[in-house]
Amino acid sequence: MGFFLLAIPVLAVLLFLFFKKEKLLYMISVSASICLIIVAVLITRQVMLWGKVEYSSLGGIFYLDALSIIVLDIVLIIGLMASIYSVGYMEEEIKQGKIKIGRLKIYYILMYSFIFTMILALTVKNMGIMWIAIEATTLASAFLVGFYNDRYALEAAWKYVIICSVGIAIALLGIIFLHLSSIGVLPSSDYLDWTALYDQAEALNTSIARLAFIFILVGFGTKAGLAPMHTWLPDAHSQAPSPISALLSGVLLNSAMYGIIRTVAIVNRNLGSGVYTGRLLIALGILSMVTAAIFILTQKDYKRLLAYSSIEHMGIIAIAIGIFTPLSVFGGLLHMINHSFTKSMLFLSSGNILQKYHTKRISGIKGVLKLLPVSGTVFLLGLFAIAGMPPFSIFASELSILASIFAIKSFFLGLVFVILLAVVFVGIALNLFKVFYGPAVENNLSPGEVNTPGLMAIVTLLVVISLTGIVIPNELKVLITNAQSIILGG
Amino acid sequence: MRNIVYIVVQILVIMLVSPLVNGIIRKVKAFSQKRKGAPLLQMYFDLFKLFKKNSVVSDVSSWAFKVTPYIFFSTALAAALLVPVSTIVTPQEIPGDIIMLVSVLALGRFFMMIAALDTASTFGGMGSSREAMISSLIEPSILVSLFTVGLICQSTSMQQMMEAMKGTGIPLFHPVYIMVFLALFTIILAETSRIPVDDPATHLELTMVHEAMLLEYSGRHLALMELGAAIKQLVFITVLVNLIFPHDQLIAITGISAVVLSLFLYLMKVIFISIAIAFAEVFTVKFRFFSIPNLAALSFILSFLGFLQYFVLGGSNV
Amino acid sequence: MSNYFDALSVLILFSSFILMANKRIKSYIKTFRIQSLLIALAAGIMGIKGSFEEGRIDILVVCLLIVVLKVIFIPNLLNKTYANIEYKVEKDFILNIPILILMCCALVVFTYFSLSTIDGINAGIINTQVVNSVSVILIGLLFMISRKKAIGQIVGFLVIENGLYITALFSTHGMPFIVDVGIFIDVITAVMILGFMVFRINEKFESIDIDKLNNLRG
Repeated sequence: MGFFLLAIPVLAVLLFLFFKKEKLLYMISVSASICLIIVAVLITRQVMLWGKVEYSSLGGIFYLDALSIIVLDIVLIIGLMASIYSVGYMEEEIKQGKIKIGRLKIYYILMYSFIFTMILALTVKNMGIMWIAIEATTLASAFLVGFYNDRYALEAAWKYVIICSVGIAIALLGIIFLHLSSIGVLPSSDYLDWTALYDQAEALNTSIARLAFIFILVGFGTKAGLAPMHTWLPDAHSQAPSPISALLSGVLLNSAMYGIIRTVAIVNRNLGSGVYTGRLLIALGILSMVTAAIFILTQKDYKRLLAYSSIEHMGIIAIAIGIFTPLSVFGGLLHMINHSFTKSMLFLSSGNILQKYHTKRISGIKGVLKLLPVSGTVFLLGLFAIAGMPPFSIFASELSILASIFAIKSFFLGLVFVILLAVVFVGIALNLFKVFYGPAVENNLSPGEVNTPGLMAIVTLLVVISLTGIVIPNELKVLITNAQSIILGG
Repeated sequence: MRNIVYIVVQILVIMLVSPLVNGIIRKVKAFSQKRKGAPLLQMYFDLFKLFKKNSVVSDVSSWAFKVTPYIFFSTALAAALLVPVSTIVTPQEIPGDIIMLVSVLALGRFFMMIAALDTASTFGGMGSSREAMISSLIEPSILVSLFTVGLICQSTSMQQMMEAMKGTGIPLFHPVYIMVFLALFTIILAETSRIPVDDPATHLELTMVHEAMLLEYSGRHLALMELGAAIKQLVFITVLVNLIFPHDQLIAITGISAVVLSLFLYLMKVIFISIAIAFAEVFTVKFRFFSIPNLAALSFILSFLGFLQYFVLGGSNV
Repeated sequence: MSNYFDALSVLILFSSFILMANKRIKSYIKTFRIQSLLIALAAGIMGIKGSFEEGRIDILVVCLLIVVLKVIFIPNLLNKTYANIEYKVEKDFILNIPILILMCCALVVFTYFSLSTIDGINAGIINTQVVNSVSVILIGLLFMISRKKAIGQIVGFLVIENGLYITALFSTHGMPFIVDVGIFIDVITAVMILGFMVFRINEKFESIDIDKLNNLRG
């Protein structure tokens, strides 16, 4: 079954290579995503039944457990939404003459290579191959970031590739050190194997493992957009086409965070406590939240604002993992899911706004609710959601993280956390809420939605985040609890 | 007695071999340019001719100009006495070490620069200011690289360092010595006015350094300066070959034939290094004067890396 | 045997110093080629040793890959890229070279002092090699910071990658084979993508000076 996970994107890429017609490309893309979702549902069921799924092919490098299935499901669901949305988005782009029809093919090939590399990163248990796959995500998405091929997009793409490649190279150094710490402990067939490393974690060389963690945190942290390594993120997110921004923010950051979480699990088990990793993670997390809060307050570009908000939420997840209690890890994983859904919904609806107004500057946009009734509403509600208002799901996860902070009695951290959330809320309200007011027709823009398939996607996401904010499905709860026990051990 | 033998052998070998090094380098360079070149022994003829001639001294110059050739030559010779050509012929005790070596050479250089300034010719002043810059850039790396070897050998005496190096197998495969070797090689190029730094064959006013300082000298004085420079060059080559390619441990016999064999091996090594220097000259171009700090920095880094490797390796297990 | 590796590791480290002292893009590429050759040599010696002692040939295969990719293919690709963009003589580095070299030196000392406190690495002879190869990574990073031209940054990235490879080779005698090969594929793709982008940057900005990439801020 797991074979299909990797085979479907490859097959889709091959099909894109052979076909040229626009409609056909859309069809292949959407159906490939739907197939992936079906496979994902089946595998999720298997994982829920057996705890983990292992495949013996290729030396047994494929492995799925509750943690990876959570991130994998996020990848596939956001992937589906992005591919449905892309249909309308790309049609409109071609109509507006922003891209040529021939480039559509390249877009889809790159997009599915991107999805493929992310699936690969999440389904292997060998840390080395996971690294390779995460580096490959950068390479696959480089031209997607620079897709519009103008000066800005090129600059963003160059920064993205250089910073992420170097960052991830540092993560490789960390993985090499992790490997070094396990020499003499593991048999050579189990080198770099996550499960083996985790089982034998107590026997690893402690000081090398600590060193390895720093490098891996900095390396994957670059990819996850933690400050101060975040500088590529606002550029890449704002210059990429909107569906790709949604994938980058909702999915790619999680894949990198997944790498950090796996390492944290090993290192904490080796050290016997979460204090060492916790301090580093919380420091980076707070720094990310501070950076994001400052830039959100002064932001003039709404896509960049959303990108900074992603940095903030990655910081929150890092803090949650850093606290390392059952409640905080639960909250962190839940937050990962909620943030992905909410943020990709926001990026997708901002794509509609961009296509309508042709500007990324907040000051150039007025009266969204009148011109784009559906996207505007979703965008407005999404902003409330991302800022942490009830009843949306982010409120629930942020609350549980906050509760876990106060449960370990670090009141200062809790206070800072709350203040930063408030500052971010103020920033979003101050900057973005003005787009909903004002005269509707200022520069001869006609009202009406442009992207009907896209509306479906964003409304679905809105429904999901509203419902999970009120009640978390039992299956999800079980999955997260399983993942939490994988991370915490025992 | 041993001391007298040592001094005689040392002075004879150094004085006789040093012009040959220049001859070899010139010959190899000539071959590389498809010329026949001057005879191998040309420098001997030149010196012989110059020694027969009187020297002309400018009447505006002071005593410094006249004493410098003798001081320069004698400091070079004194330096030569600190660096044994063979560890078989050794004195009872040499009252001097590498610090002495460097400072004796610096004394000679100081007088040379003073003399070049003394005649008040433009080239002399230019040459000495450049020489001052180059030597101040290169000197740290000489000291650091020799100290590194000294640290390993637990002595700063050149003779004891050479003795100790005999026991290290093939030092060139050792991270410390490989760095020291490269550093010393660069130092030789810089100190003896070889091509990346200075061009010994040119009298082009813009580029010359060493030649500019000798411009006012003639006859006997010039011969002394030239020979002194050649001796200085051989001293550095001797330091290099005897530290990095020790040869006396290969000689099983004793007595006078051992001395001859040892000196023969020494001569071979010197010829080898001379050819290497010639190749280095052929394959590089002269640097812009302001790029010389880069070369000096690299040579310093070489010696410093060698020094660092010594500590990284843990010192005692070298 | 480890003496050879010590000597090679220090030569590789020194080659990155030479890289730092280089002024022209052509010489960056040449120095990178030499460095890769030294790494291939180290991998070759280790591979021959491994194949005699344990019967594994994977390091030899990797050595062959290094020769083909890093010694021949990537430098040629970079040369071709460089030949195709408009040539302009511009000062490429931000600080002057002696200062940069002394900074590299400080990096080596820093690496030494930070790694010497780690007890697992400190044991035995591995120390020298690991210190040297980790220093190569840091020097690669400094090289990227110090050069303004896009190709200089690519070379810096490749030097970082070289440093990673020798760290893995010297400290753990090579990663698992499939990981090594995967890393190579990634590096090749990255270099090709970056080389392609250099073309585009040259087209759009009429220079490959990345200081010009400063439109996106805040």
